[in-house]
Amino acid sequence: MTIASSTQFLCFAALSAAVAIGALGVVLLPNIVYSAFLLGGVFLSVAGLYLLLNASFVAAAQVLVYVGAVNVLILFAIMLVNKKEAMAEIPGLALRRVLSGAVCAGLFVLLLRVAFITPWATPGPEPIGDEATIRIGEHLFSDYLLPFELASVLLLMAMIGAIVLARRDVLSADIVTGEPADQGLIEKSRTPLLLETPAPASPAMPTPVLEKR
Amino acid sequence: MLTAPASAMAAALQAPALVTPGLDLEASFTDVLQGFGLSPAAAHLVWLPLPMLLVLVGAVVGVLVTVWLERKISAAVQQRIGPEYAGALGILQPLADGLKLLWKEDVIPARADGLLFTLGPVLVVVPVILSWLVVPFGQHLLISNVGVGIFLWISLSSIQPIGLLMAGYASNNKYSLLGGLRAAAQSISYEIPLALAVLAVVMMSNSLSTVDIVDQQNGAGILTWNIWRQPVGFVIFWICALAECERLPFDLPEAEEELVAGYQTEYAGMKFALFYLGSYINLVLSALLVSVLYLGGWGFPIPVEWLAGALGQSADAPLVQVITASVGIVMTVLKAYLLVFFAILLRWTVPRVRIDQLLDLGWKFLLPIALVNLLVTAGLKLAFPAFFGG
Amino acid sequence: MTLAAAADPSTAVTAITSLQLNAGAIAPEAAVLIAMVACLLVDLAGEKAASRWVPPLCYGGLGGALVLLALQWNASPLEPAFLGSFLADNLAVAFRAVVAASTLLSLLISWRYVEQSGTPVGEYAAILLAATLGAMFLCGSTDLVSIFVSLETLSVASYLLSGYMKRDARSSEAALKYLLVGSAAAAVFLYGASLLYGLTGGATSLEAVGLALQTSTTPVAALALVFVLATVAFKIAAVPFHQWTPDVYEGSPTPVVAFLSVGSKAAGFALALRILVGCFEGFETQWKLLFTVLAILSMVLGNVVALAQTSMKRMLAYSSIGQAGFVMIGLVCGTEDGYAAMVLYMAAYLFMNLGAFACIILFSLRTGSDRISDYAGLYQKDPLITLGLSLCLLSLGGIPPMLGFFGKIYLFFAGWADHQYLLVVVGLVTSVVSIYYYISVIKMMVVKEPQEASDVVKAYPTPSWNIAGLQPLRTALITCVVVTAVGGILSNPLFNWASSAVAGTPMLQRVLASSAALPIG
Repeated sequence: MTIASSTQFLCFAALSAAVAIGALGVVLLPNIVYSAFLLGGVFLSVAGLYLLLNASFVAAAQVLVYVGAVNVLILFAIMLVNKKEAMAEIPGLALRRVLSGAVCAGLFVLLLRVAFITPWATPGPEPIGDEATIRIGEHLFSDYLLPFELASVLLLMAMIGAIVLARRDVLSADIVTGEPADQGLIEKSRTPLLLETPAPASPAMPTPVLEKR
Repeated sequence: MLTAPASAMAAALQAPALVTPGLDLEASFTDVLQGFGLSPAAAHLVWLPLPMLLVLVGAVVGVLVTVWLERKISAAVQQRIGPEYAGALGILQPLADGLKLLWKEDVIPARADGLLFTLGPVLVVVPVILSWLVVPFGQHLLISNVGVGIFLWISLSSIQPIGLLMAGYASNNKYSLLGGLRAAAQSISYEIPLALAVLAVVMMSNSLSTVDIVDQQNGAGILTWNIWRQPVGFVIFWICALAECERLPFDLPEAEEELVAGYQTEYAGMKFALFYLGSYINLVLSALLVSVLYLGGWGFPIPVEWLAGALGQSADAPLVQVITASVGIVMTVLKAYLLVFFAILLRWTVPRVRIDQLLDLGWKFLLPIALVNLLVTAGLKLAFPAFFGG
Repeated sequence: MTLAAAADPSTAVTAITSLQLNAGAIAPEAAVLIAMVACLLVDLAGEKAASRWVPPLCYGGLGGALVLLALQWNASPLEPAFLGSFLADNLAVAFRAVVAASTLLSLLISWRYVEQSGTPVGEYAAILLAATLGAMFLCGSTDLVSIFVSLETLSVASYLLSGYMKRDARSSEAALKYLLVGSAAAAVFLYGASLLYGLTGGATSLEAVGLALQTSTTPVAALALVFVLATVAFKIAAVPFHQWTPDVYEGSPTPVVAFLSVGSKAAGFALALRILVGCFEGFETQWKLLFTVLAILSMVLGNVVALAQTSMKRMLAYSSIGQAGFVMIGLVCGTEDGYAAMVLYMAAYLFMNLGAFACIILFSLRTGSDRISDYAGLYQKDPLITLGLSLCLLSLGGIPPMLGFFGKIYLFFAGWADHQYLLVVVGLVTSVVSIYYYISVIKMMVVKEPQEASDVVKAYPTPSWNIAGLQPLRTALITCVVVTAVGGILSNPLFNWASSAVAGTPMLQRVLASSAALPIG
């Protein structure tokens, strides 16, 4: 084993362990802030794996997008709303955990089995190293032109939608008639959805139709 | 030996086989070692840590110089004398500061989250130091000429806000948390125009590599520097770089009138020193990158090759190579420190912006301008390929 | 050696770039995109200008798209566009037309609803047009990356639309649920797509995927099939991937529900045809078995649970699950008639479902209610809604002279001809169940005496059409109802249209030919 390949193997082992343990931590830790920070760690380790595969551009993009944007956003959201609240007890939580754990384990075993019995065409294509950036550009403007351009529509629409939903309209009104509006569904709910709203407002829940007939 | 280097480090450290002549320290060094009878692999292994150490030392010395400059220039601006007893002109003052921080007690507040509290400053400093990988001081005088070059710096600098958030959260202090949140918001807001400004430069030089970017600027000395072709980009980049470094007028995360010291409030001793170090290394790094991207990097205002030609020397002669390399290093550092000087002057001339002004400036002014700049650059590149790097 | 390896793909890339882009294939989408951008620009001039100018812009864009789609019909020669990312065959044209028409009708019935709720009109139209764009691209995409991006465009726009009534907790809840479940589905699809990508050895076009799957029927391919199928089932809300549907339909603004139940579903079926029929030929028995189960479950659960609903929107949500089950019969058949019946039923469903939605939107605009019990005695106050809703519901139930009857009978006929007896019998029985709850609504409206009318109906305002935005609603309502009622009698052109949609699709023809060749050879 040469120096290069042993370094490569060690790096791979360390990064994979970091990804696996970090991901488990994200799911299992009770403290959501730790989960979020660990998620950043997982993203970084994945970037490291890309680097091992000689995909340095993808690795840098992974760090920029996932660590620098997605994870920071998640952390922001958590830190701005990190109120300690007593959650309502979920009945049968332990059973649910066992069941979902069993499903996950089953899926894992299935994937593992499939991964081992599939005749993968190894080794894959020769890594092209630094030239990869140019190749990505060429692909984006040739055979992936349509998804590339459609992604711009997607991002534009997501941005506009996010602004519309987050914007605080102080006064809203029916633009045609000028009547005040509440930006809610036109079909008003008879049974209040949130428990905080005063219950006596609607004295009796409307009886189901089928009984009335 | 390392023809298929998948290990990141090995890949990063492989010297590129460029056609351009110049001082290649690695080649000379490994040649010498092989002369002593070492195998090429072993020689490479001995070489590996040297540039990293060199750059680490360089970064730390750069910080010491910057701290001294900051104190001296600040004093001069305010018509004081500044540090004067420690060494000649107080030149040892930063060293004394550093030693003091090293000797101080390392306090972790009682209700703080110890692990994250320690990890925060580390996450702030490490990416900044890693970014020095791509700073070139000459044709071959950089640790790694990776293909993604400047993009590596952009992506690494986006890790920093995580460390700041971590520090702010772990301190268990409302000022710290607010400071951390502000720092992260500021950092991600200004990263976008910054990246767009860099993208315009990258578009002109057809490469992300810092070496190619400098090479493309040094056709005719000072006349072909990017600052003439990208004046708007230069201003955007400099503003954003100051914001990323949290320098005044953008030092809101640690605005002492509002937040005591922001995310650093609870920190003392060596952990505080890490923040301190990180912010100054970042400043020097940003200045270096401005010089690389816009001020011709290691290039002398009149190309050294022309001077050598005028003096009748071959550019490949060993002596000329050494002189060229030295001039390159001196020019890079000189340009960077000129920019550091401007940053310090700015600190004492411009008032701090408010948080809403900061975000408005970033999102509603710099971002559209940067987009327009990118569009105009693309148009100019198509219209005048000779001048804008067709 | 490395040099040669590096040079080889780059020559391949230059070979690719010299190919024809053939961008004319997406001209209808371009019209929609232009309308969307124009809506956003007009919106900058303020809410007043937006409510004045956005509707005509949308009509122009979608109408233009429909005209351009008509021009693409039976295009020859059929060239792949965007270097194999998109194919405007007749199947794609038909489904894109269904999507565009559903958006057009949904927009017609939206204006008053959106304005009355006080939410911005311009952004609403823009997001709905973006969803349309995603759905239309999804119908014609022939490459995994394009499929994923268009699927996400459709999904993200749908999440935004279902949360558009942002001050309403139900709407926010719907958006959040939809987002979480939808993201999980997208992740599952990506996993399946990555497995397919690995099987092809680095190609993403569906053609390459189909080729790779022909040669290898490894467990990985089966796994990829399951993952892709789960996403398709999520998009068409087939039981047991339907849990999001009732809550999302109840909490979303009603016009959005109208679009989701038709446009989004049509795109899902187009995706199913393209991937399952086009690529997973080798797994035909497996996926047909899975879809049989899904279809039976959808028909039974959708129609039985719809019986117990008290809210009109929720009832239509469950009924749409059942209707999707009927359409799946055509998919399972895999005969020319089966595919044609799918196309025909989607077109019929477009008109009858949107007609029903137009009626319940009009009712809720006037009364602020969507409870079934509140419809009691409506015929005396508002004959138009009563008539329209009755006709549309009868058609949905499959009562003879209506359009829905012919759609359903064609589906059952195709199923019977392909010996899918179980599916057809279940379909017939559940149709009867569905007729029961559709009729009970009609009975509620028509049979009640004036004194038995609900409080809401007793306080019913005199119908007036003066307010801007009600006229388009009336236009849409009458169009849908007329097509539903008369289309059944004059359904021959529709049959021809649906058959030629299948006949003009090389992908389906190839599959049909190969499956026809099997029993003989």
